[in-house]
Amino acid sequence: MSAGHGGFIARRFVLAEFASGTALLDGAKRMRLGGYKDLDTHSPYPLHGIEDALGLKRPKIPTIVLCGAIAGACLAYGMIYFMNVLDWPINIGNRPPHSPPANIPITFELAVLLAGGSSFFGFFTLARLPRPYHPVFESENFSRASIDAFFLSVELPPEGDASKAMADAKAAGATGVEVVTESER
Amino acid sequence: MAAPNHAAMPDPLEPHALIEGTHTDKTINDSLLNHVWRGAGKGWWAMFSVALAALSLLVISLSWTLYKGIGVWGNNIPVGWAFGIINFVWWIGIGHAGTLISAILLLFQQKWRTSINRFAEAMTLFAVICALLFPLIHTGRPWFAAYWLMPYPSVQGIWPQFKSPLTWDVFAVSTYFTISLLFWFIGLVPDLAALRDSTPSRTKRFIYGMFAMGWRGSGRHWAEYKWAYILLAGLSTPLVLSVHTIVSFDFAVSVIPGWHTTIFPPYFVAGAVFSGFAMVLTWMLPARHYLGLKHVVTPKHLENMAKVMLVTGMMVTYGYVMEHFIAWYSGNPYEQGQFFKVRWTGPMAPIFWLMVTCNCVVPQLYWFKKVRTNVPMLWVTSVLINVGMWCERFNIVVTSLHRDFLPSKWENYAPTWVDITLFIGTIGLFSTLFLLFLKFVPAVAVTEVKELRHELAHDPSVDAVGETH
Repeated sequence: MSAGHGGFIARRFVLAEFASGTALLDGAKRMRLGGYKDLDTHSPYPLHGIEDALGLKRPKIPTIVLCGAIAGACLAYGMIYFMNVLDWPINIGNRPPHSPPANIPITFELAVLLAGGSSFFGFFTLARLPRPYHPVFESENFSRASIDAFFLSVELPPEGDASKAMADAKAAGATGVEVVTESER
Repeated sequence: MAAPNHAAMPDPLEPHALIEGTHTDKTINDSLLNHVWRGAGKGWWAMFSVALAALSLLVISLSWTLYKGIGVWGNNIPVGWAFGIINFVWWIGIGHAGTLISAILLLFQQKWRTSINRFAEAMTLFAVICALLFPLIHTGRPWFAAYWLMPYPSVQGIWPQFKSPLTWDVFAVSTYFTISLLFWFIGLVPDLAALRDSTPSRTKRFIYGMFAMGWRGSGRHWAEYKWAYILLAGLSTPLVLSVHTIVSFDFAVSVIPGWHTTIFPPYFVAGAVFSGFAMVLTWMLPARHYLGLKHVVTPKHLENMAKVMLVTGMMVTYGYVMEHFIAWYSGNPYEQGQFFKVRWTGPMAPIFWLMVTCNCVVPQLYWFKKVRTNVPMLWVTSVLINVGMWCERFNIVVTSLHRDFLPSKWENYAPTWVDITLFIGTIGLFSTLFLLFLKFVPAVAVTEVKELRHELAHDPSVDAVGETH
């Protein structure tokens, strides 16, 4: 099953179920300290302390959103300045063509628009979603991960030994373990 | 006779819990998704047919408006803005409660918001759709509106005039709609995954699966997701304040007596929250009954919403008093005429007094716990507040315009059948969209309620009422 036609190499994951969120966090941390690299948790709601358990770096979203906000503000102010000052000045009640207070609302709105947009699209890009298929969906049990179950997935290296990872997951507190293999479509 | 079992009876002095009964993630999941899987009942179909009937009025009046032009409305000179702008401001205001509940209460860590935020966010979206319709058609030729409103490089070679609050409004409202949609959808993704994973039907699994975007509850995703969600909330908070502030600038920047006042921005925002909460209650009270949501939308939620309406109702009352005070204090005869003569005793005075009754007197009932926890009373008062807030916008728009500086310019105003059916039609559009939402999407944020249950059960610093110690 490891190599199909056309050079397809099926990815394999050990999927370990834990009894609770706390057990999952603890198990993930022990697996990570045990030397496993490609770990992920699957839970119906965010677990406090997940960053520590998986050893994640600082989230990237805040920086992306800040860049979006700055880009939006610059775009808006530049647009107004270009349109109402440089390209086609209109005399409105003899006010100066460049009148900063009047530019504040749109500058703010576009900053929010681009910041919000970068938060949304930035998240889906970082998460590489939408992605309708993922090997973990091969497990029948996995449908409970969005309802009330807590899973740890360990991606195995191409030649890796599944039984060792399964034993380690059990030792880390998993209540059930199985191996899922990517299907070729 | 056996002594009454005190253990089974709730202590009347204990505050109501945020989640009633004992639950697991599974029972929460099943009870909150149940209304999606259950077939539409007779009640839903009855309400849906009424909503569709009202929606058909919108189609008729909208087609007639586009065919004949806005001359078929009751607008005249000097009342150049009437139902179109009243309804726009009314609908936008209703939308604001959704953002307030989902964003501002999230930032303040008000845990009671969790059960009602999805519902209120959906309301925001649909209310803003109704609102957007009016400025678009009030231009008369909406197919040209893009040239006039958007900075589009048209063959005319000119650009929008960015010193006008009307242009700010275009940016504010379209940003508001977009951000509300993104915020709503990103919050919905984990719940769509729960829907995908709880159905035995292949078709439903496919459809919900598409919208769930392949969500697999990954911890790496959650770590970024939490930030994306909280930042969208953080952005929505100043956004919602800015939107109604800018809407109020449409009036306040002009010189018409009754419009030209600096209290408008805060008083519009308070009024928006006031009417929005009233609309949430108007829909939530029947919905929690029919959708079986009483264990997550408890009397505690209803009471809190009533308290918010009491506070914002008094802010609005303060706004009315201050408008009158400034009219008197300024010594400006036009302002004084507008407030002390035209509003109190003019031809539109009944609407003014209806507004005072609904917006200033009715919310005072919320001082009483008996009223705050009585479902029929809450429903009636919330409908009255919606009426009152519509009257407020009528007073601002029509009453101010129909008596301005020159008596020779004065003209009375009466809406035509097109005005009235357009308004009823948008209520139909709102109700249709809302009923479809209640049928196909969980009305309560399931994921967040599970998280809340977990916190209430396991975090010793949070008690069952959601107070942090």
